[in-house]
Amino acid sequence: MGYEPKLVCFSCKFGWGYLKDPGDLEAGASLSTPVECSGRLDALHLLRAFKEGADGVLILACEEGHCHFQEGNFRTLKMLYLLQDVLSAHGIEKERVRMEFSRDPEGTSIPDRLARMRASLSALGPLNRTFL
Amino acid sequence: MWHTVSKGTAAVEPAVKQYLPPCQEQCPINEDIQRTNVLISLLPEDPDKAAPGILQIGDYLYEKNPLFPVCGYVCGLCELECNYHAKGGAIKRRLLKRFISDTYIPYLEGRDEWSLIKHKENVAIVGGGPAGLMAGYDLSKRGYRVTIFEASDRLGGALWLIPRYRLPERVLVSTLEAMVRMVGMDVKFNTRIGEGKWNLDRLRNEGYKAVFIAQGTPTPRTLTFGRDPVEGQDLSGVMYGHTFLYEVSHGNIRPDYFSGKKILVIGGGNVAFDVARTARRLGGETTVVALEREDKTSRDGIPADVEEIRGAWEEGIRIVYSRGVQRIIGEGERMRQIACPRCVQVYDDKGFHPVFDSADTLLLDGDVLIVTVGQGPDWTPLRSEGLVDDRGRLAVDPLTLQSRNKEWVFVGGDLRKIGFMVEAMHDGLAAAESIERYLQGLDMTEGRKRLFEAQDIPLRRHYLSEPEVVWIPPEKRMHFQLFERGFTLKEAIEEARRCLSCGPCIACKACVSIGLRESLNPVEVLADRCCGCGICVSACFYNAIQLKDVEMGRISVTDPFKCKSCGMCVAACPSGARTLRDDPLEGILNRTYSQLS
Amino acid sequence: MAEKPKIAICWLGACGGCDEAVVDLNEGLLDVVEAVSIELWPVAMDFKYDHLVAFETDEIAVGLVSGHVRNSEHAEVARLLRDRCRLIIALGACACFGGTPGLANLVPREEILDAIYRKAPSVVNPEGTIPQAETPWEGETLRLPAFLDHVYALNQVVDVDYYIPGCPPPPELIQNGVRAVLTEDLPPKGSTLAPRTALCETCPRNKTKPMRFEIHGAIRRIHEVEADPETCFLADGILCMGPATRTGCGETCIRTNTPCRGCFGPVPGVADPGSRFISSLAALLKVGTTGDPKAIMASIGDPVGYLYRFTHPISTLGARRLTEASEETP
Repeated sequence: MGYEPKLVCFSCKFGWGYLKDPGDLEAGASLSTPVECSGRLDALHLLRAFKEGADGVLILACEEGHCHFQEGNFRTLKMLYLLQDVLSAHGIEKERVRMEFSRDPEGTSIPDRLARMRASLSALGPLNRTFL
Repeated sequence: MWHTVSKGTAAVEPAVKQYLPPCQEQCPINEDIQRTNVLISLLPEDPDKAAPGILQIGDYLYEKNPLFPVCGYVCGLCELECNYHAKGGAIKRRLLKRFISDTYIPYLEGRDEWSLIKHKENVAIVGGGPAGLMAGYDLSKRGYRVTIFEASDRLGGALWLIPRYRLPERVLVSTLEAMVRMVGMDVKFNTRIGEGKWNLDRLRNEGYKAVFIAQGTPTPRTLTFGRDPVEGQDLSGVMYGHTFLYEVSHGNIRPDYFSGKKILVIGGGNVAFDVARTARRLGGETTVVALEREDKTSRDGIPADVEEIRGAWEEGIRIVYSRGVQRIIGEGERMRQIACPRCVQVYDDKGFHPVFDSADTLLLDGDVLIVTVGQGPDWTPLRSEGLVDDRGRLAVDPLTLQSRNKEWVFVGGDLRKIGFMVEAMHDGLAAAESIERYLQGLDMTEGRKRLFEAQDIPLRRHYLSEPEVVWIPPEKRMHFQLFERGFTLKEAIEEARRCLSCGPCIACKACVSIGLRESLNPVEVLADRCCGCGICVSACFYNAIQLKDVEMGRISVTDPFKCKSCGMCVAACPSGARTLRDDPLEGILNRTYSQLS
Repeated sequence: MAEKPKIAICWLGACGGCDEAVVDLNEGLLDVVEAVSIELWPVAMDFKYDHLVAFETDEIAVGLVSGHVRNSEHAEVARLLRDRCRLIIALGACACFGGTPGLANLVPREEILDAIYRKAPSVVNPEGTIPQAETPWEGETLRLPAFLDHVYALNQVVDVDYYIPGCPPPPELIQNGVRAVLTEDLPPKGSTLAPRTALCETCPRNKTKPMRFEIHGAIRRIHEVEADPETCFLADGILCMGPATRTGCGETCIRTNTPCRGCFGPVPGVADPGSRFISSLAALLKVGTTGDPKAIMASIGDPVGYLYRFTHPISTLGARRLTEASEETP
C-alpha cells in the first residue's frame, strides 16, 4: 500500500512495563502511552484519536480478573463493543481498535504487538475519512 | 526495576478517624499490609531481579515492625478479618511476610546499625519479651537511652515457647539480636527486678526516669478440680507445658526422649497443641485431653486453631474432648493414670464454670502428664512494688498503660492482659508513646484513641480461590523442621495480586512510592453540573459514591477515604461533572495526539 | 417614539416545528408583536429573499434561526442573516446541533440522492435524473441550491450568539430568550438559554431510583416493554438519555411515559453527549459472572441512531466546519 499506518497505543501502568527503569519508561512512552488503568479511557478519547489522524488504536490492558482497580479493563471492553458499532457506522472497520489482555512487567512484548497491529492496519489500508 | 520511597508524598497518612482495610484495622499495630501487598505484587518474577525489591519491602516493614520476620511464621491475625474470607479464602498474608523474611534475615544479620542520637532520658524496660523489646526499640528511635533488664539468659520471652517446627531458631535469634543491635539497646541478663537487690526504687536511683514493666506470665497454672488443686501433681512424670517447651527450646532434649512412652497433655488451647505435637515428635504416643467440646462454633468449643487440630490429628495424636481431670493416680512415686469425668458445660453466662458428671469417668493410662492450662504473672514483685489495687488486681490505665499508683511506671504485655505476640507489641508501642508524653510533659491521652472503620470488599465479578497450603506428609514430619512449605517468588506475587486493596489510598500509596503515579488526584464533583443521575454510584467498584439531597437538588458525593482515584466515575459521568484534580491525562492525550499530525 | 426592535425568524433545513413553537406562544405572541417588529418570517408571513438582502448590516436586532445547513441556499441565507442581524440565536436542535437529519451524515451523498430519486419504491424515473445545481435550458441556466455532502449545525457555518435547544424548544423557553435579548439581560456570548444541568435534576422520576442502581443483563428500548409510568426508565432497565441531556424541556416526553431521546443536547462542558453516554452505559450495564458482554452491549440495538439522534453533526467524528472549499457543486 505504501502508507505508514499511524497507531496510537495505550498501556495500563499496573500491568505493562512497570519494571522498566524510569528512564526507559520515558523512552518507551513514544511507543505506548501509559495510563493508570485502561478503565480511564473513555469513548471520547478513542474517537478523538481517529479524528486527529490515527489509523488504529491498540489498548494493552491487564488480564481478565486482575485489574488493580477491580474491573476497569472489563468496563473498557464493554465500552469498546459500543464504540466499534459507532466506528462501523462511520466506515471505520472494527479491527482498527483492539484490546489485548495480558501482563508484561518488562514491556518486552510491546514492540511486537505494535508491529502486528501495524501490519493488520496496513492490510486494511488507510482510514476511510469520508464520514469524518 | 522500581525503587520505593517512604517519605514525602509517598508517606502513609495518619488521621484521627479514617477507614482502613479490615486486615490493618484488625492488626494491633496497624501494619501497612495493603501497601506491602501491592509492592510484592509488582516484583519481577526473576529471583535475582526481585531481591533488591524484596529487601526494600523488608526495610519498609522493619521501620515500624522489627519483629516482622517472626510474625511471618507465627501470626496471621489479619487473615481472620480479610474481606476475601467469604469469597474464596483470606489472603495468605502470613506466608507473604514469611516470604519476605526468608530473603530479609540474611541481609538483616549483616545490616549496619543505625547511628541514633540518644539525647534524652534513661528508660528501663523490665522484661525482654516482645512487649519490652518493641517499647525499647521505639524509645531508642525517639532518642532515649534504653536498658533492658531480662531475668533469664536470653531475650524473647514467650516467643521461646513456640516450637521449632513452626518458628525456625535462626529467624528468632537473628531478629532478636538485630533489634538490640540496630538501635543500640543495653541489655542486662539474669537480672530480675523485684527480687534481691533490684527493685523500682533502685532503678530510680540509678537514673531511670521511667520504667516499662513487661515481665510476662512465667507461672504455669496448676490443675484444679472445682476449687481444689488436683492431687498428685507432685508425682514423678507430671510436668507443666510451659516449662516443658522452654526446656525443649534450649535444645537439651534428645530427639527420642519420649520414645515408647504414653504422653497425656491436658489443655485445649494452642499451647497445649504445641506441647502435644512436640511430644509426638519426641517419640511419644500422645493424647490431648481437653475440657472443651469439638464443635468450635459452640460457646464451649475448643479454643485451639483449626490448623493445629488438623495437624495434630494428622500426626497421630488422639484428642479426647469434654473431659476434665479429677485425680492423678500414681504407683509409688510415678504417675500411672488420670481419672477424667465428663465435662457437660465449660462456660455459663457468668464465665468459666465447668460442670462435671462424675458418674461418667474415663481412666486414661499415661507415663507422662503435661499440664498446659494457662499461665499467670508472678504477683509477688507486683505486690511488693505497690502496683496492685486494693482488690489485688493490676492498677493500670488501659489506654496509656500508666500505673495508677506510680506515675513513672508503665505496665504492658501478657502481664497486663494475656494475648498474642502482636498484642504485646502494641502494648510496647503504646508504652513508648506514653513514656515520651510523660517525660516531655505532654497530655497523656490526646489524639490517642483512634477510631478506624473497616472498609468493605470492592465489587467485582470474579473472586479467586486461595492457594493451597502445602504441608509435608505427616509421616515425614517427625522432626523439628518446618512442615509448612512457604511461597516461591512466583506464588508470592500471585497471592499478593489476589489482594484487592480494600483500604483507602491515603493508607497505602504504594503506587506513588514507586512512581507509578505522580500523586493521588482526588476526585472533584462540580456540584452545579451534577444532576444526580446516579450513574457514577454504579460505576464505582468501591462504594465510595453516594447520592445526597442538598438544597440545589440531588448530587453525588465521593467519600475521599474510600476513593481510589481510579477515574471510573470520571469516565462514566454523562455530564462531565467529575474530574480528578490536577489530572495529567488530558496533557498526556494532547501530547500523544499531537504526534499524529 | 422609539422604533421597535426588529427581529427575523428564519428557517433553513427545518421541519417547521420550531416556528410552530413560536406560534404556540398563543396569546404571548401578541405581547411579542407589541414589543418587536417581525421583519422576516417566511413560514408565517409573506417575506421574500430580497427583503432580507435589503436590510443593512446589523439592522436587525436578533435573528431566530432554525434548521440545519445542508444545501447552498441554507448556507447563503445563514451568512446573510449573520450580517444583517446583531445577534443570531440558534433555535431548536437542528440549528444548535444539526438535529435528526444529522444522521444522514452516515450515508454518502450519492447514496442519498440515489435512494430518493432512483431507488425509492414509489419513484418512476427511467432516465435516472438527479437534480443539478445548474441546468442549462433554452439558453439560460436554471439554478437550484447545491446539495452539500454533510449536514452542518448553524455554528459550523456562522458565528452564533445564543442557543435555544429542543425539538422543538418549549414556547416558554423561546419567550424567555427573546425577553432576555430585549431587556439586554443576557449571559455571556455562546451560552445556551436553558438550565445548565442534565434532565435527571428536574425529572419527576429521579427520586424513584434506588441509591445504587445497575442494569443487569440486557437493556431494553421503550417499544419492547410496557413501561411503568412512575419509575425511572434507566432504573427499570429501559434506555433513556436523560443523564446526558440538558434539561429545560419540562420533561414532556417523560410525562407521556417515553424516555428521553436527547433533543436538548449536551450540558455545558460536554461537546459530544452521544459519545459520553457510551462510557456511561458501559459502566451501568452489568454482565455478571456468566453473561456475554458482547451480547449485552448489543442489546442496545441501534447505538449510533440512539446516541447521536440529534447531535451527530456536533459529535467527535461528525463535526466539521463549512468552508468555501467544501461547498461543492455536483
